[in-house]
Amino acid sequence: MADKSTDPAAIWQNMVGEMEKGFNSFASQALASPEFSKLVNQVGGASAGAQKQFGELMEKYLVSMNLPSRAQMISMAERLQSIEGQLNEVKALLYELHNSSGMPPDRSVAPRPPRTKQPPSARGEQK
Amino acid sequence: MNAPAGLDLASIPERIQSEVQRAIQRSIKGVEYIASSGPALGSTPKDILAVRGTMNLYHYRPIADEIYRVPILIVMATTNRGYILDMVPGQSFIEFLLKRGYDVYMLDWSAPKPEEKSLRMEDYVLDFIPDCVRRVQRDSGETDISVIGYCFGGVLSLLYGSIFADGPMKNLICFTTPIDFREMKLFQNFSDKRYFDVDRLIDSVGNVPPEMILSSFEMLRPASRAASQVQLWENIWNDEYVKSYRMFDRWATDTLPLAGEYFRAITKDLMWDNKLYNDTMLVGGRKADISKIKVPILHAVAEHDHIVPYDAAKHLIQKIGSADKEEVILKGGHVSLVAGANAIKRLWPKLDSWLCERSV
Repeated sequence: MADKSTDPAAIWQNMVGEMEKGFNSFASQALASPEFSKLVNQVGGASAGAQKQFGELMEKYLVSMNLPSRAQMISMAERLQSIEGQLNEVKALLYELHNSSGMPPDRSVAPRPPRTKQPPSARGEQK
Repeated sequence: MNAPAGLDLASIPERIQSEVQRAIQRSIKGVEYIASSGPALGSTPKDILAVRGTMNLYHYRPIADEIYRVPILIVMATTNRGYILDMVPGQSFIEFLLKRGYDVYMLDWSAPKPEEKSLRMEDYVLDFIPDCVRRVQRDSGETDISVIGYCFGGVLSLLYGSIFADGPMKNLICFTTPIDFREMKLFQNFSDKRYFDVDRLIDSVGNVPPEMILSSFEMLRPASRAASQVQLWENIWNDEYVKSYRMFDRWATDTLPLAGEYFRAITKDLMWDNKLYNDTMLVGGRKADISKIKVPILHAVAEHDHIVPYDAAKHLIQKIGSADKEEVILKGGHVSLVAGANAIKRLWPKLDSWLCERSV
């Protein structure tokens, strides 16, 4: 087997690893400075404002093109999600009714195993 | 000319041949990588018990013949998807728990919609978690419940446990849960009160966009994404490496937006005023004092966690009111603590041996 100190592939991998560590460490120091915090928040604040304005502009543009806007698509997705949620509620209620009715179990719903399991120590087994 | 010490001249042709083969494989697999989708994640069979906006409650179908009496409710972090705990068969924490005989439920989150920007901390702690607990009780027929909280899911579980200290939580397990937010140094700097106008941000954007959450995580280790891509190219001939890379990369970039009011509360109450650590935290007017929690607790922290450093997590066990409490420091990082090869051999067996005794 090749010695890792002379294996070019191992040297390369080691170098990438060391560069990553070094850069992360350097960046951590730089990012911990108050100047960075000030800068990033100035840029972030400006871009959040711009993003909002751009979104509003785009909304107006889509309306003028007679295309559904993002808000309308979201509203449609919400209605679907609400229907899906109500179906889940109905399913859960049916499941409960079925369980309490004493009817034979639905083949698609596996019977629940008994809650009788004991830890290995109680069964005299080693963990 | 002599060969340098340690250089085996006889092995050079073999090395060249191996590198040429790998280069060919890289080209073939590189095309495959671009053309194919990643492995299917989160595929352990489950039933959706409830969906209420951002809240999703799943029940995983038991696979053991006999299960422990006390069911588990996993509370996922609000920034990320729950499938980190259910990657692929053989590497799924959920599957592990099911095979060991636990009855597993998960409170997972979907992206809050624009009109959910008004969700507050109290909606999560006093409504979503108690609602899921009631549903788990109804579904399982059991009163007692063990709660597992991952990262910020751990914070939510602590807040819930301290307000509902009389039950029904029977056991609490926290994974990498911060409590002293002063010690999250870089996040502290990003949210420096002097420069970070959280009100302006929330009033502008409503919900905090996922790109902002992702970039704040990536800024903690800015070189790691580039380095991981170099390593991917190096190892693209290795199917197992590529599969693992794709699983973790997909999860890491699948960040969720955060509800605006909830983010405002996190910033002001936790990042700025460190209220959980200072025992001054109020949720919906109710005091959340973790010394009121008396149930058995296990806190698992990672030795090399760059998101929740040990200093931010270490006071949890000291401050909690439980007599039966344990902190375990394991090798790994914030994610490798709970998922992947490291977790399979370290955290999962530890959790099982701790929880099985307390689940009857």
